[in-house]
Amino acid sequence: MWRFFAGKGAQYLLVLVLTIALNFVLPRMMPGSPLVFLAGEDVGFLTPEQRTQLYALYGLDQPQWRQFATYVANLARGELGYSFQRGRPIAAMIGERLPWTLLLVGISLALATLAGAALGAIAAWRRGSVYDLGTLGVAMFFESVPSFWLGMILIAVFAAGLGWFPIFGAGTAGVALSGWPLLLDRARHLVLPLVTLTCITVPGTFLIMRYSMLSVLGERYITTARAKGVAERAVLRRHAVRNALLPVSTVFMLNLGFIVGGATVIETVFSYPGIGRLLYEAVLNRDYPVIQGTFFIITISVIAANIVSDLLYPLIDPRVRQR
Amino acid sequence: MTVVTAALPQAPMRRRFSLGAVGWTGVLLLVVLTAAAVFAPTLSPYDPEDTVADPFQAPSRAHPLGTNDVGQDILSELIFGARISLTIGFLAAAIAIGIGTVVGLVAGFLGGWVDVVLMRAVDLVLVIPFLPLMILLAAYLGPSFWNIIIVIGILVWARPARVIRAQVLSVKSLDYIEAALALGSRTARVIVRHVLPAVLPLALAQFILAASNAILIEASLSFLGLGDPTAKSWGSVLYYAQVRNAFISGAWVWWVLPPGFLITAATLGFAFVGYSLEEIFNPKMRARHGPGAG
Repeated sequence: MWRFFAGKGAQYLLVLVLTIALNFVLPRMMPGSPLVFLAGEDVGFLTPEQRTQLYALYGLDQPQWRQFATYVANLARGELGYSFQRGRPIAAMIGERLPWTLLLVGISLALATLAGAALGAIAAWRRGSVYDLGTLGVAMFFESVPSFWLGMILIAVFAAGLGWFPIFGAGTAGVALSGWPLLLDRARHLVLPLVTLTCITVPGTFLIMRYSMLSVLGERYITTARAKGVAERAVLRRHAVRNALLPVSTVFMLNLGFIVGGATVIETVFSYPGIGRLLYEAVLNRDYPVIQGTFFIITISVIAANIVSDLLYPLIDPRVRQR
Repeated sequence: MTVVTAALPQAPMRRRFSLGAVGWTGVLLLVVLTAAAVFAPTLSPYDPEDTVADPFQAPSRAHPLGTNDVGQDILSELIFGARISLTIGFLAAAIAIGIGTVVGLVAGFLGGWVDVVLMRAVDLVLVIPFLPLMILLAAYLGPSFWNIIIVIGILVWARPARVIRAQVLSVKSLDYIEAALALGSRTARVIVRHVLPAVLPLALAQFILAASNAILIEASLSFLGLGDPTAKSWGSVLYYAQVRNAFISGAWVWWVLPPGFLITAATLGFAFVGYSLEEIFNPKMRARHGPGAG
């Protein structure tokens, strides 16, 4: 078990180091002055003296290893630098946006995992039936649909067309709400992005659950359970689904990175003020420090979520505990 | 995105090498789309780069899908878009499979620390949030046709590498490989002459799945404004539709729906063919789904 954690830990540390290194190297590797990427494209108009000053300010006159040490030290203190578009600390900008993304991704991940596992288990159990082939077809379709396009269609039909939901944002602007009306307003804004993200996330879980369930149903202990007269429902619930869920939990982790990426695109479509939208705005403005900071925080979140699921994994799979 | 090995309806063992209905549906989709791409100049009524009418026109006899924000014919944009989207999908997948096959072959055949290092790299790539990393790279490298292809290619190789490695491991223990090694063939020669041919069909299946993935990713990048600004892909048509708020007006029916359907059709087409081929060529899936699992 400890080897399991040590191996995982080393892997995440490596991801972290790689992310930091990438963030450090990219602006310095690009043709032209790294100042453009650190301080904005206006540096072209500066006098040589001002340039030298800025170089010193960003520590670019120091040796590379020194720059890197400073960079890491700053990160460790939670300093991500300043947006050159807004002049605000990036950490604060991300802090405002992160809760919205966590809300969207968290609920969507829970919904998609539950729905995908349930639908997949039933599909495998009734293999070859109309239900099985139907859900399989729908799952393949949603796995192939561009998420942003699905979002646009939902907006066109349910927001702009039918007027059931707001078109953009996470809350109605300019209205002071509190209590239940506030909650309701937030919830109404959340529905469409949530549905979009969930729709594109379910297929992954569904397909792996169906596949895993199919192989579990072929195991001898299932035959044994049936032979000793266990009711079909109990076989399914107590023997098959429990074991089939193991690969699903692995996909759950792999899904995190994918879902966060999906959220980036979906937040953009719905102008939802999450961290993905921030990333998009930063790309539009060529606000490189913000792009880097956002990428860094997204990676950290994915690693954190991975660690949590790793810690929970031995609870699900007793075999890991014995290793 | 997560591509999960789907279990498609199983063909009887005798018909192992036929694609099945799903596979042929995929082939049909791909043939139609590829034909559109190849014969684009003949098929499309206008040059997609020309302003041929007033902007924001609803569909008419002259412009079946209306015109966009600068008065270009949307139908022509979509027909020519097939060229860009499919080409990027193919080339990116080729790069990904090139890397994936080499990594899978080397890791699986050599084993030992080489295997450990390479597989760790695979895990690494799989953990990093994919699209944000692409956005980061695309933002720095700048949007261009080749940058998009390279970025997608160097990030999609991990899953194929893993699948191919597994196949190499099972091939490695076969008698003819051991015989070749016992006869004194060099490792490189054994890999190229004996192992590679054995994993090639599976690599083909993975290539097609990667192409499916790549088309979807290209669409997302183009939609975020990180696509090649000089080439019109289906994703970039949607980008302009989004920027001009087409989905709030009635224009979404002809401006937003069709490109999305085309992206879906291409992705599905590749996925159908890829999954069917994988089912045929991946002995693990055959074993799992054989009579035993029924």
